[in-house]
Amino acid sequence: MSSDSSSTSGDEFTNPNPNPNSTSKPLEDQFASAALTEPDNEPPEIQESPNGVVNGSVSENNHGEIERNERGGAVGSNLEARQSVRWRRTNSEVEVEAPSSPSSSGYAGERGSSSGSGSSGGFEMIGGGIGGDDDEIQEVSNVDSIQDSQASWMPGKRHVDEDDASLSWRKRKKHFFILSNSGKPIYSRYGDEHKLAGFSATLQAIISFVENGGDRVKLVRAGNHQVVFLVKGPIYLVCISCTEEPYESLRGQLELIYGQMLLILTKSVNRCFEKNPKFDMTPLLGGTDVVFSSLIHSFSWNPATFLHAYTCLPLAYATRQAAGAILQDVADSGVLFAILMCKHKVISLVGAQKASLHPDDMLLLANFVMSSESFRTSESFSPICLPRYNPMAFLYAYVHYLDVDTYLMLLTTSSDAFYHLKDCRIRIEMVLLKSNVLSEVQRSMLDGGMHVEDLPTDPLPRSGTLSPHLGQPRDSPESFREPFVGIGGPAGLWHFMYRSIFLDQYVSSEFSPPINSPRKQKRLYRAYQNLYASMHDKGIGPHKTQFRRDENYVLLCWVTQDFELYAAFDPLADKAVAIKTCNRVCQWVKDVENEIFLLGASPFSW
Amino acid sequence: MASRRRMLLKVIILGDSGVGKTSLMNQYVNRKFSNQYKATIGADFLTKEVQFEDRQFTLQIWDTAGQERFQSLGVAFYRGADCCVLVYDVNVMKSFDNLNNWREEFLIQASPSDPENFPFVVLGNKIDVDSGNSRVVSEKKAKAWCASKGNIPYFETSAKEGFNVEAAFQCIAKNALKNEPEEDIYLPDTIDVVGRQQQRSSGCEC
Ligand SMILES: Nc1nc2c(ncn2[C@@H]2O[C@H](COP(=O)(O)OP(=O)(O)OP(=O)(O)O)[C@@H](O)[C@H]2O)c(=O)[nH]1
Ligand SMILES: [Mg+2]
Repeated sequence: MSSDSSSTSGDEFTNPNPNPNSTSKPLEDQFASAALTEPDNEPPEIQESPNGVVNGSVSENNHGEIERNERGGAVGSNLEARQSVRWRRTNSEVEVEAPSSPSSSGYAGERGSSSGSGSSGGFEMIGGGIGGDDDEIQEVSNVDSIQDSQASWMPGKRHVDEDDASLSWRKRKKHFFILSNSGKPIYSRYGDEHKLAGFSATLQAIISFVENGGDRVKLVRAGNHQVVFLVKGPIYLVCISCTEEPYESLRGQLELIYGQMLLILTKSVNRCFEKNPKFDMTPLLGGTDVVFSSLIHSFSWNPATFLHAYTCLPLAYATRQAAGAILQDVADSGVLFAILMCKHKVISLVGAQKASLHPDDMLLLANFVMSSESFRTSESFSPICLPRYNPMAFLYAYVHYLDVDTYLMLLTTSSDAFYHLKDCRIRIEMVLLKSNVLSEVQRSMLDGGMHVEDLPTDPLPRSGTLSPHLGQPRDSPESFREPFVGIGGPAGLWHFMYRSIFLDQYVSSEFSPPINSPRKQKRLYRAYQNLYASMHDKGIGPHKTQFRRDENYVLLCWVTQDFELYAAFDPLADKAVAIKTCNRVCQWVKDVENEIFLLGASPFSW
Repeated sequence: MASRRRMLLKVIILGDSGVGKTSLMNQYVNRKFSNQYKATIGADFLTKEVQFEDRQFTLQIWDTAGQERFQSLGVAFYRGADCCVLVYDVNVMKSFDNLNNWREEFLIQASPSDPENFPFVVLGNKIDVDSGNSRVVSEKKAKAWCASKGNIPYFETSAKEGFNVEAAFQCIAKNALKNEPEEDIYLPDTIDVVGRQQQRSSGCEC
């Protein structure tokens, strides 16, 4: 069962490439400057990550023609113009690039704001020290934030004092709104909903105007802004963004926001609107601002939001099995889903016969639980709805934190089940303690997952019986990795993400220098997100590759029926070597899949 | 298992969102207060060991969410309650007006055997705010309402300053205990159980 994807490993990757040994053009010719694609009328420090490079070239990339994509790209029709702008740098500049240096690479320089105080009066710094979020971009050189880009983000709604008349409100790069089809505001990312009633009415007017013509409005472009609409019965969702993310990505984000709303209220709110079109929904969402703002924040750090897959905490196979066994035990006693998670990573999960959890539901549930402080203080019992499981009905969730990061969720259909679930939890907790699962979890949190620096140079001997942690001994991680600091892994590999299609799971390498600030991480995710959108834009074959080079990265994407691999390299990386490295990454993932994925069933489920 | 339930006194805290239910519970159980509002989701569940007339009991406190969308949730939580605490904010008239709804809703959903004599306790919270200058519900008015509902005990509290919180919960425990049939308390197998629970709770509290 674990060898599902092995058939497409090995050298196949190089086959779809029509010309693997193509002699490279001079590097400068291959680079179109992304930094220079920024619209001129926007102060640079406000501008979203400049990967407009990828955005807009979507239709091109669908052909999967490697050489063509290699030109990097530019926004749609401006292709020619962009191409003429060359971006140059010498190798030595690359080599001296230090994580916090604002000057050397495309990372910080084009923003001109990466020195801590560099906000230079930009309005986006109204958010002050909050940092790290979608619009309040800030360089954080704090070591902690390297591991976890959530670290610097503070929950809760901000800028409540704003409304559509405020300059600052108008300049925010990404707005999200929920409103009713009568134009009543339900949620706004920024500003006070009630003060935005007029603006909401305008949005409603646009939507109904088009609907009256028997049509549907999906996207409006205005200058460098995109307005994306999603109509869900009586609920309208709107995103206004100048982040240059593809339409599909923004629409996917609106779908998740709608899902989050259903998780809190179920679809039965529709009935309230049927009875009373003027129904005011805001009170029903009381106290849930944090849930939405944390979801919106996760659009910029959590790849699960666009991969539609979940990720596991790396654990020894036996440890995960032990956790799965006790969860299975409980699931057999009338619990619908038993889920053990550590932050946003799954330790183990089990569903009662046939019940299966959609990765999006898991994302929304974990977001709901982690963003609501209330769950951390004591045992809780709350109605929740899993929109992909059944959007009409509530389930009941028993939630209990076993330690600071690790929490257990037991879902049931019965509103009376609190005491039963509490007993289940006590049993589970005992077993987990006895079998050291919780201490293993803590250790895995410290060790982290796959580090590109550890990519094995030679394939592991197949006959080897040793199973070192993720393929390499990690006894003294710091000293071991020292020689690599600042340059990523072998062959200029900086980062990768691997999504297993059958498992609905992905694994993402830990961030290491030079991708070491939340801002750089976010930019990389945006680049992946663009890549994802272009690869999933209808009609793709079973094997598809894409190779892009711009001044930020070399990006490589490889999609097969079994998996998708996204990898980022140093922009100067050699293409042939990069492709070889991707093959090694796939092999590595397969070698350690026991530890990084939740593989099928525990022994009891069949 | 059955005997353990008898040693538990189940207390439900009800009231509008933001009146300070969670804060009161936190002040009572953990002696902590935070100015930050963190909406309760569904219901939170906490236990506290109490000493009363030389015996140990476990107060099982259900801190419910005052947010509107949870109001249909009642049955799951209210059933089997030994005492119901109604909280309002002395600075918000509506939270006081709503006490009646909370009380009636509770009686409907929990359907206690003797609704007339079911023990309630009313707390008027946040008396510290603006040194009482922004207060809109007078003590007299609150007491009159309590008297009209069968002499419900009334306390004025400040979760922030810890004022009257201990006293209020003492009264809550006493009233919850009154609701419990006498003979249940003296079952022979309760002694182990008490021991076990003491252990567990001391583990939790430190
Ligand atoms: N000054 C003052 N503030 C208080 C007092 N009690 C609570 N607060 C504040 O009032 C706000 C709401 O308190 P909570 O305890 O969360 O209210 P709640 O009743 O549990 O609200 P829900 O969980 O939504 O039902 C918080 O910001 C508290 O800090 C008090 O006695 N004095
Ligand atoms: Mg509360």
